[in-house]
Parts: sequence; C-alpha cells; structure tokens
Amino acid sequence: MSQFFTQYFNFDVMREHFGEVLVGFLQNLLVFAVAALLALTWGLVLALLRQLPGKKLMPIRFVTIAYIDFFRAVPILIIILMISGGVPFLSFLPQEVRIPHWFGRPDPFWYGVAALVIVYGAFTAEVYRAGIEAVPKGQMEAARSLGMSHFQAMRHVVVPQGVTKIPAPMLNELISLLKDTTLISVIALSESVLVSREVLSERLNSSSLTLTAIFFVIIILPLARVVDKLIARQQLKITRGSHIEVA
Amino acid sequence: MRKTRLTAFFAVLLLALASVVVIGCGGGSNSTTGGGSETSAGGGGEPLTVGSDIPYPPFEQGKSGSYTGFDIELMEAIGEKIGRTAEFQDTSFETIFRDVGQGKFEAVISAATITPEREKEVAFSDPYYLSEQAILVKEGSEIGGLDELEGKTVAAQQGTTGLELGKEKANAGELRPYPEGPDAINALKAGTVEAVIIDQPVAQNAVEEEGGVEIAESVPTEESYGIAVAKDNTELLKEINKGLAEVIEDGSYKTIYNKWFHKEPPKQFLG
Repeated sequence: MSQFFTQYFNFDVMREHFGEVLVGFLQNLLVFAVAALLALTWGLVLALLRQLPGKKLMPIRFVTIAYIDFFRAVPILIIILMISGGVPFLSFLPQEVRIPHWFGRPDPFWYGVAALVIVYGAFTAEVYRAGIEAVPKGQMEAARSLGMSHFQAMRHVVVPQGVTKIPAPMLNELISLLKDTTLISVIALSESVLVSREVLSERLNSSSLTLTAIFFVIIILPLARVVDKLIARQQLKITRGSHIEVA
Repeated sequence: MRKTRLTAFFAVLLLALASVVVIGCGGGSNSTTGGGSETSAGGGGEPLTVGSDIPYPPFEQGKSGSYTGFDIELMEAIGEKIGRTAEFQDTSFETIFRDVGQGKFEAVISAATITPEREKEVAFSDPYYLSEQAILVKEGSEIGGLDELEGKTVAAQQGTTGLELGKEKANAGELRPYPEGPDAINALKAGTVEAVIIDQPVAQNAVEEEGGVEIAESVPTEESYGIAVAKDNTELLKEINKGLAEVIEDGSYKTIYNKWFHKEPPKQFLG
C-alpha cells in the first residue's frame, strides 16, 4: 500500500516539479481556449449548413452530414498525427501554413488546434442541431410568413431560441475538448502530460501525472457546477412560476 | 418482424464481440506461455522476457513476432549461451526501468545508457556498446554541430541521453521531446525542427535508409549501453554478463556488430 502512495502521491516529486507541470497545464488551457472558440463557431456554421432548405442545396447538406459523420467516427489521435505528419510535406501550401508559427506559438500548437477544431466542430454541430430542432417548427413558419428569409429567420428567431436549450450538452463537449488537449503531447507540444511524462522518466515516479490530473479536476469540476446553476436559472425563466430543483 | 430483426442484429453483434475477446485472449496467453511466434530460434529452456522500446533502428526494429536489430540479435545470442530463449515485449522507454524493477519483464535491452540515476532503480550488465550522440540535420543545413544550436528548434526523444545533452549543452530556442525517435527524425524531414539529437547509429541509419538528412557532428559521450535487470536479480545479471562475455569471445558479437553498423567494433568487444 505504501508503494502505491510513493508511486502516485510522492509529494516531494509534486513539489519539485509543480512549476513545470503548471506551465504545461497553462499550455493546455491556451490550446483549449483557442480551439473552443473556433470549434463553437465552426460547429454553428456546420449546423446551419445542415439545416439549409430546398432541393437545390441538397449537395451542401449531404457534404455537411458526411463531414459530421466522418469526423465523429475517427479518433482524434489519428487526425492529430495525420496533420502533424503530413501537412508540412504539402509543398503546394505556403510555408506559413505548412509550418505555422502564428502569434509566436510553435507548429505543434497549431496542428493540435486544427485537429481539435476539425473534430469538435462536428461534435458541437450535432449539439447545435439538437437545439435548433428543439425549436417548434411554427417559429420558423411564422418568421417566414412575416417575410423573413431562411437566413434571417435562423439568425433572429430560431438560433437564439435554440442555443438556450443546449448549455449542458455543449459544456460536456467543451469538458471533453479540454481533456483531449492532452493528446497533442504525441506531437511534442510541451503541455502538462508531456511534461509529466518527462518527469516520470527522470524520477521513475507517476506523481507528476497525479498532479496533472488534479489540475484538470480543479478546473473541470467547478465548470460543471456553474452550468448546473445556469440550467436552473434558465428553467426558472421558461417554466414561469414552477420551480425545478437542480442539484 | 421488426423486433426479431433487432434481436438478430444484437445477437450477431454480441457474437462478434465475443469472438474478438476470445481471439484476443488466445493471442495474449500464447505470448505469455511461450512457444508463440515471439520466441526466437535456438536457446530453448525457460523463456527470458525482455522489454524493449521498438522501433529504434538499427538497435530494434521490425514488427511484432519478427523483431530484429543489433540489440535483439545480441540478446538472442546471449540467451542461447545461457540456455534461455529471449522473448521480446515492445514497451515505452520512459517507464521501462520501473517496469523491469517491478518484474513486468526480466531484462531490458533498449539502447539504454548506463547512468547513475538509472542505477539507483535497476542493475546494469557490463557495457555492450559504446555510445555517441549525433546532431542530425537536413542536407545542406547551415548547422555545423552542437555549438550552433543556439536559438534553434531542436528535437530529441523523451527520456533519452540526447534530450539531456540538448538540455545541458545545446541552449536551443525550443527543445521538443518526441515520444519516439522516428517521430523526431520525421519532424526534421518535415522541416518543423532544425536538428535532432539522437544516438549516433540511429542517425546513421536515418542517413542511409531515408536520405535527405546528414550528420552535422558526432558527439562522444563517454557513455555505454547496458542490459538492465531488477536490482535484486543478481543471479540473472551474472548469467547475462557470462553470456555477453562468451558472445564477445567467440566472435558472434563482432558478426552482429558488423551486420548492423557496417564497421568494426571497438577493441574491448573483439574476442
């Protein structure tokens, strides 16, 4: 049992490498912030493309659905490795796209962000779709009968109502996005897991990984609670008078 | 009708899952009981489980079941001398010493440098290889060696001497630890890093087999590779040292060395 504690809870190892692991973890948060912003936008674009009306736009809907299905099925690790191992060799692309160093971040950072946005765009698109489809059809019909175009109706009537229904599932996607930022360690971005593994090989002790796990728990647990509160408030607003207890 | 179809679908799914489990377990027990395809020819006797981080050409390479390379062939030769059949397990380098210490496998041969820190955790055999680090760069690169890496983006493999050397001497702008050596070399070829610090023979192998890269400088490190066993396993250590001495004595070390490095081994390894 004491072996268990020395292996996973060696506080000396944690203390000595706290700074390094924290710097690595900030790297995770930065990847998350950039990727989340882009994925939420990209997902909305995909969801809207999927809802385009009429026969003529069928090919666009088809391609969008194919994209969403494909990237929900493929493991992110594969996408990360394919981008990192392939894009730099595509000589028809300009140098700053093949090996991006935008905003002073190294190329593995951007390869990782790209992979996460491509995949999580597909996941968030499905969440947006659930929200949009939960808005009664009458809303769209009423807006159209007032003379709004499909896009205007989406923009002013359907999407604003739709997004109020999805904070919980969307947060679940974001939490899983935050956790998946650790996958970028395979292409040598110095984020928390890579730093911890480096410590592990140096000290032959897993406590640095425990420390990283603790960082993630500290960030993610309150996030989940905040959303519970948001849902409760939202429910109060739309259920008018009735009160729903949310733990 | 609908319901029966659904039932049939799940039945087939379950059957498929079950067969995967059965096949998977079958394969697993095969390799642990020995006599599977993992075992090498000759030797006989009780199998000797050996951990190695594969690939790391030319030391270890090939697919599961037909691993080869300098380390692999040397270990097989030693195994033959001591009457044990070497059985290799691909594993991750960063945890390899902890795992051998805890008995996941009995020995480690993985181009592992003998260092004081590692000797705290495991016991090493006599040296079986003298190591040099190489600064690998793209063909035509301006980088001439270790002294010229300042401010550059440099790659190495996680947990290796090359990474240590980079940390201590290179003063690089960015030092990237890749999980596997070939990843680092691939990053060099892709142009995302400007140099790789890696074991000399690995660099040599990359130059010969893949091209497009060259060795800017070979850095002697006064380090040597050893075979690691658990600290309390002195009996096996003795056996391995005896086997290694015999392999050097009868010239099979030289044959294996020539085969993989295309040159003569240093004096102390000539029988």
